[in-house]
Amino acid sequence: MIKTLLQLAGLFSALSISAFGGGKVVLPSMHQASVGEYHWMSNQQFVDLFSISMAAPGPSMMVVSLVGLKACLPYGTAVALLGALIATIAMFLPSSILVFVVSKFWDEWKESPWRHTVERAMMPVSTGLILAATWIIAKTSIHSVPTALMGLVALALMLFTKINPVLMMGAAGVISWTFLR
Amino acid sequence: MPGEAPNPNDQGRPRKRVSLIEIAGLFGFIGITSFGGGLTAYIRRLVVGQKQWLTDEEFLPGLALVQILPGANVAGLSIYIGNHLRGPLGAVVALTSILIPPFILVCILGFLYFHAGKTTDTRAVLAGITATACGLMASMVFEAGQKAIRGVFDIVLILLTFALVRFAHLHVPYVILIMAPLAIWWHRPRPVQEGAVESTKP
Repeated sequence: MIKTLLQLAGLFSALSISAFGGGKVVLPSMHQASVGEYHWMSNQQFVDLFSISMAAPGPSMMVVSLVGLKACLPYGTAVALLGALIATIAMFLPSSILVFVVSKFWDEWKESPWRHTVERAMMPVSTGLILAATWIIAKTSIHSVPTALMGLVALALMLFTKINPVLMMGAAGVISWTFLR
Repeated sequence: MPGEAPNPNDQGRPRKRVSLIEIAGLFGFIGITSFGGGLTAYIRRLVVGQKQWLTDEEFLPGLALVQILPGANVAGLSIYIGNHLRGPLGAVVALTSILIPPFILVCILGFLYFHAGKTTDTRAVLAGITATACGLMASMVFEAGQKAIRGVFDIVLILLTFALVRFAHLHVPYVILIMAPLAIWWHRPRPVQEGAVESTKP
């Protein structure tokens, strides 16, 4: 139990300061660690939990709370909540401290040409990481013609309309419950 | 941008001190009412537009700061805004207020999922939700790619990053350690005559 809690703290604090471009870029590591290395959950469970966190309000990084919850679920409900808490703190604390510290020097740095360079340079790197994250989600979530169609419709609606993504997910849940049961 | 709100540096026009309770209230509200993307625009509308706690001149450097640093932009922004209003304590209040309501909700959903996740009904609902989540992620690839790709080498950087994760199974921190220096070297500030090659830069 202590070992799992330490693993959660170590994993997510390392990912916290690596999440250039937001929480989604570290999703491949979250998946690899919780499914492949620590065997906290199955592939399907990981993708389910990620989707639930996207449908729920709040920052999309809340998937870390669910990973912590599941990792510690075998030790009982109370430990599961503790695991969720530790995972969440580990994910948000290091990057928050960084923001706090850097904001003190920000006025001096913001005119430097390197600021633009770093911002510009990290864009393709985060794009590649989001692509890898999408790949992982797609491998498990797109397994039939209907699911492929729903994924494509969601992509098109996101790119070409301003429909709220949570509405889309709700509608997709109802549609697939109606037709795929 | 200018002229929307009073300049806080104006002598003799100190702005009303925002209380910690007000900070907790607003960020708690943001936490439970924010769905999907576009969160930073939502925070700006509330904090700069509606409440006028910050001017755009104060808010936008904070946005630039959190976009360049790792971590969720929403968390970074709440730290920045909270700190700007009430110092370190304000930062802690803003961050915890924006996180606690979604945390409680997501834990409840998690327990429900582990309780009923295997029934036919739940599986059917989740099939649609996960497929849609995949579509949303794919749209983020397009959006990020649109901003990132300004030349062939940007595509190389994207594919190389993807390959390090997908085929070399490297963890993201190591991928960053390899790719960031390469990308920064490529996009390094150059003298004007060389910089003409990269005329597409904004």
